[in-house]
Amino acid sequence: MKLDPLSIPYRILQSGVQILGGLVLVAATSASSGDGFAASLGMVGLGLAVVVAFAGWQVLYYQRFDYEVTPDTVDISSGVVSRREREIPYGRIQNVDVAQNAIQRALGIAEVRIETAGGGETEAQLRYVSRAEADRVQELISDRKRGAVVESGAPEPDSEELFRLADRELAVLGLVSADFRVLGLLTVVASGFAPSLAEVSAPGTELLIMLGPAVAVVVLGGFWVLSAVRSLLRYYGFRLSRHGDELRYERGLLQRYNGTIPLEKVQTVTLQENVLARRLGYASLVVETAGYAAGGSASVESAVPIGRRDRVLALARSVEPFGDLDFERPPKRARTRYAIRYALALGVVTAAAYALDRFTGLAITWYLPLALLVVVPVAAHLAWANRGYVLGADHVVTRNGFWRRQTAVVPYDRVQTVIDSQTIFQRRRRLGSVTVDTASSGGISSGDAVAVDLDASVAADLRETVAERLQRALGTGPAT
Amino acid sequence: MTDDDAVDPREGSTVATGTDDGPRSVDDAGPEPDPDAAAADAVDARTTERRSLSSLVQIVWGLRMLFGAVVLTFVASFLSMTVDPVPSWTGAAAGAVLLALGTAWVHLRYRVWTYEVRTDALYLERGVLTHVRTVAPYVRIQHVDTQRGPLERWLGLSTLVVYTAGTRGADVSIPGLTAAEARDLQGRVKELAIHAEGGDAV
Repeated sequence: MKLDPLSIPYRILQSGVQILGGLVLVAATSASSGDGFAASLGMVGLGLAVVVAFAGWQVLYYQRFDYEVTPDTVDISSGVVSRREREIPYGRIQNVDVAQNAIQRALGIAEVRIETAGGGETEAQLRYVSRAEADRVQELISDRKRGAVVESGAPEPDSEELFRLADRELAVLGLVSADFRVLGLLTVVASGFAPSLAEVSAPGTELLIMLGPAVAVVVLGGFWVLSAVRSLLRYYGFRLSRHGDELRYERGLLQRYNGTIPLEKVQTVTLQENVLARRLGYASLVVETAGYAAGGSASVESAVPIGRRDRVLALARSVEPFGDLDFERPPKRARTRYAIRYALALGVVTAAAYALDRFTGLAITWYLPLALLVVVPVAAHLAWANRGYVLGADHVVTRNGFWRRQTAVVPYDRVQTVIDSQTIFQRRRRLGSVTVDTASSGGISSGDAVAVDLDASVAADLRETVAERLQRALGTGPAT
Repeated sequence: MTDDDAVDPREGSTVATGTDDGPRSVDDAGPEPDPDAAAADAVDARTTERRSLSSLVQIVWGLRMLFGAVVLTFVASFLSMTVDPVPSWTGAAAGAVLLALGTAWVHLRYRVWTYEVRTDALYLERGVLTHVRTVAPYVRIQHVDTQRGPLERWLGLSTLVVYTAGTRGADVSIPGLTAAEARDLQGRVKELAIHAEGGDAV
C-alpha cells in the first residue's frame, strides 16, 4: 500500500517552512553585510534550488514507501537511497496510535505510529495516510492481534464506553493541572526577590514596593492559566472505551490523538492525585505498557486525565484487579529524617541567599527562608504520611508524594528486577528503599514503583518476597 | 586469588554440561524419564556460593580514580596559585586528601561487591555510600554480554553485563571477573535463563 498522495504536498510544506526560515535568515545577513543585490539574489536562487531538490526528495520518498498488513506481520519498506525492509510481528506490537493536527485534519490525512517494546523510539510510522486508511490499519492490526479471521463474518468484539470527559471535569482538569511544586517554588522565590526587584526598578518610590507582590501574583496567575489552557487543548473531547481486550482513547482539540492500549501488555497502573485534586476528590490514571505510557511519546500523559476518585479507582481495578489499599507506612524515624533533611535544605538556601546579599548588589531579604522552619515539621509529617506500600495477593502497590501523590500498582508477573538500596543517611537510621522495576517506559515523571524508607529488614524481606512472587506468578519457579 | 580457586574446580564441568544438555533439555523435555528432577539437578549444578570479585579490579578502579584525582589536583593547584588570598599549597593538599579518600573508596568498593548465582535469580550486592542489592530473575534476562575495556584486557579481566527489559536496572553488570570466571558465569546464567523460560520476558 502507498501513503496518501496528499502527504507529498504536506511533507514538502513541512520541510519547506524550515528551509524558508533558514533562507530568510541567510538573505537578511547577506543583504545587511552589503554584498549587494546580485549576491542576495544568488542566495535566493540557491535556496529555491534546495526547495526543488527537497520537493523531488519527498516525491521519491512517497514512491519508495510501501507498507502492507500481512496475515502475520506489518511490513514496511522505505528509504530513498538506503532501503529498509521492516517486518513487525503482531504479537510484539504494544500500541497503535493515530495522530492528526489541525492542518492534517483539514487535509484529511493522519499519522499512524506503531510501538513495540524494543528501543526508545517509535518502531514504525506511516506519515501520512488518509484518515479512513489510518482507522482501517489500526482496526486491522487489533483484529489480527486477536488472531481473528478478518474475512467477513468475524464477530465484532463488544465495544463499551468506559469514560467520557464531561465539561465539568474538563474545568476541574484546567484548575488542577498546574504543577504545584512549581507554584510553591515560584511563590517563595517571588516573595524573596520582589522587594529588591522593586527597589532596583524604581528606587526611592515607596508606593512601588507593592510592585513586587503584584509581579508575583501575575506570574503565578499566568503560569496557572497557561497550564490550564495546555491541558484543555490536550484533553478536549477525551473518550476511553474498551474494545475486546484493548482500551481505546481519543483526545485533543487542535492535535487529535487516538490510540490503543492492549490490556495484556499493561505493565503498571498509576493513580496520580495532586494536592488540589485530592481536596476536590479527583484523580487521574496512567496506564503504562512497554511501548510507552499511554497518551504521549515523550512526556507521560494520563490514560484518564481526571475523574472522580472512586470512578477512576474502579476503572483502574477493571484494568488490574488489585485489592484493598491498606498502606503500610514507613517507621516514624523516617519522619525525623525528613524534618532534618528539610531543615538542612532551608539552611543551604538561607546561606546562598545571604551570600548573594553580601557579595552582590542585590538587597535580598536573605533570612526570609528561615520563616519556613515553622512548617518543616508539618512538611515532614505530610511526606511521611503519603508514603507507603501494599503487598497484595497479585500486586505490589507503592505510594509517594504530597504535592503530586503517585500510587503505582505493579502486578507481580510484570516485575523485571527488584532493587533494594540504602544511602549512607538511610543506614544511620536502619532504613532502606525497595525499587520494583518493570519494562514500562514511562520516564522520569511517571516514577518507578519505589517503597521508600522502610525498616532495613522489612526492605530486605520485601525484595525477596516480590522476587519470589514473580516466580510464582509466572509458574516458572525451580522444579523443586 | 581466592576467587580463582573457588571457580576452578567447577569451571570445566559447567561449561561442558552447559553446551551439552542445556538447549537439548528444553527441546525434548518430554521423552526424558524425569525431566523435572533432571532440570532441578541442572539448575542446582549451576548455582554458586556468594563470591567476590577478583582483587585485580582494584587496580582498574584505582587507575580510573587516580586519573580523575590528578586532573582535579591540577585544576585546584592552578586555582590556588592564581587566586591571591589562598596559599599556593592548597591545591596539592586537596589532591592528597582526594587521593586518600579515593583509595579508601576503591578498597571499600571491592570489599562490598559480591554476587551470587541463585536457583532462580542473579543476586548482586554493591555500593560504598549507597548500598544496593539487586535481584535479577533469570526469566527476565534478554541477553548476556561480556565486555573488556583496554585496561581490563591488560589485566585479564572482563565485565559481565546482563540485560533485562526493565527501565531502571536495565543493565546489571558484574565487573572484575577473570576471563575464565566470566566465561563460566556467562555460561551458567545463559543456561539458567534458557531453563527459566517464561514468555517473551516483557
